Amino acid sequence: MPRPGNTVIASVTVVALCSGGWLLGGAHTHAPPQPSPAQSGTDAGRERPAAHALPPSPPDRIRIPSIGVDAPLTGLRLTPQGSLDAPPADRPRLAGWYEAGTSPGERGTAIVAGHVDNADGPAVFYRLGAVERGATIEVDRRDGTVAVFAVHAVEVYDRRHFPDGKVYGAAPRPELRVITCGGGYAKGIGYRGNVVVFARLTGSR
Amino acid sequence: MRTVRPLTGTALAVAAAGLAAAGPAAAPAYGAADGLEVYPATVAPGDEVTVNTAACGGNAPVTGDAAAVGAGSFTLAPSEHEEDAVGHFDVPPSAQPGTYEIVARCSDGGRITADLVVSLAAGARPERPQESVPSAPATPDVPKGSVKTGVGGALGPDPARTAAGVAALAVAAAGGTWLLHRRARGDGI
Repeated sequence: MPRPGNTVIASVTVVALCSGGWLLGGAHTHAPPQPSPAQSGTDAGRERPAAHALPPSPPDRIRIPSIGVDAPLTGLRLTPQGSLDAPPADRPRLAGWYEAGTSPGERGTAIVAGHVDNADGPAVFYRLGAVERGATIEVDRRDGTVAVFAVHAVEVYDRRHFPDGKVYGAAPRPELRVITCGGGYAKGIGYRGNVVVFARLTGSR
Repeated sequence: MRTVRPLTGTALAVAAAGLAAAGPAAAPAYGAADGLEVYPATVAPGDEVTVNTAACGGNAPVTGDAAAVGAGSFTLAPSEHEEDAVGHFDVPPSAQPGTYEIVARCSDGGRITADLVVSLAAGARPERPQESVPSAPATPDVPKGSVKTGVGGALGPDPARTAAGVAALAVAAAGGTWLLHRRARGDGI
């Protein structure tokens, strides 16, 4: 039996042992992607022409093709403390919209929120922080129209200094905000803030 | 439908207070301090209802009873808000339209109630506010603060990485076994 065979097997065994230990050991974790500062909004001064507002109509689905999101929407309300409630934690693939507010495509600021994860792992907006400026967001509406939005900023806000006016404030044209958890994670505290995608209506079909 | 009863004057007042206080800007202005607040005050079958009260004071849990609407009992746990205890229950999908009494019992024996109106989907949705006016200040219907949309469950070990690690160890085990086998046969290493 030629010795090189043994040497090769021994080498492969050692390498496999080491890499297996490295892969399984330690505190290797994966966290949801976070937006880079380059995605922050800076085009406030040069307004792109927004599309004409659509009449009010409840939305049924949201699609963000660049991160593979295609999710149904449920109605969301406010908690007794006045913050936006999230969709049920046991429906991780479901996103929600603030149904007492503006519907997507209508003039004003429409709000969509969804989980980044739940106890079982990644949820509908796990990759929301990877959305880039210029990306397309589509919303299917119950009146049969599809509202098409373009992302103009992606921001991360600490929950202790959340800019309510900037995120939820009224807008003179059809705007959309898509919100999920983000901004770092601390054991016992949870996510430190929210990732917020700012988008503007650019068309419909 | 177990205890549907007509709205009495008192119940109407309580329901109205509940509705008013259920607005986004919540408690202070309407002072639900010594009552029981159910939100939303009007729901559809299957909806989740949040119940809170500051009437019991202190830090002891409060026992909630939503058996009238078929949801059984629940606990109102002290919250980070001063003396405010908060709990939740789900209205059963089979609940019939009507008005139901929701009861909370303080640990000192005090009993407070509020009415919950179950209606079929149509009336259960919050009323749409007027269309927002450009540059107008935020209306009270606008949400405040961040949204709790994650628990960190995605922060565990990466499943792909775990699988690769297990596969690598399996290769190592096979290689080791092979070598030992050869050695035992005297093939020499």
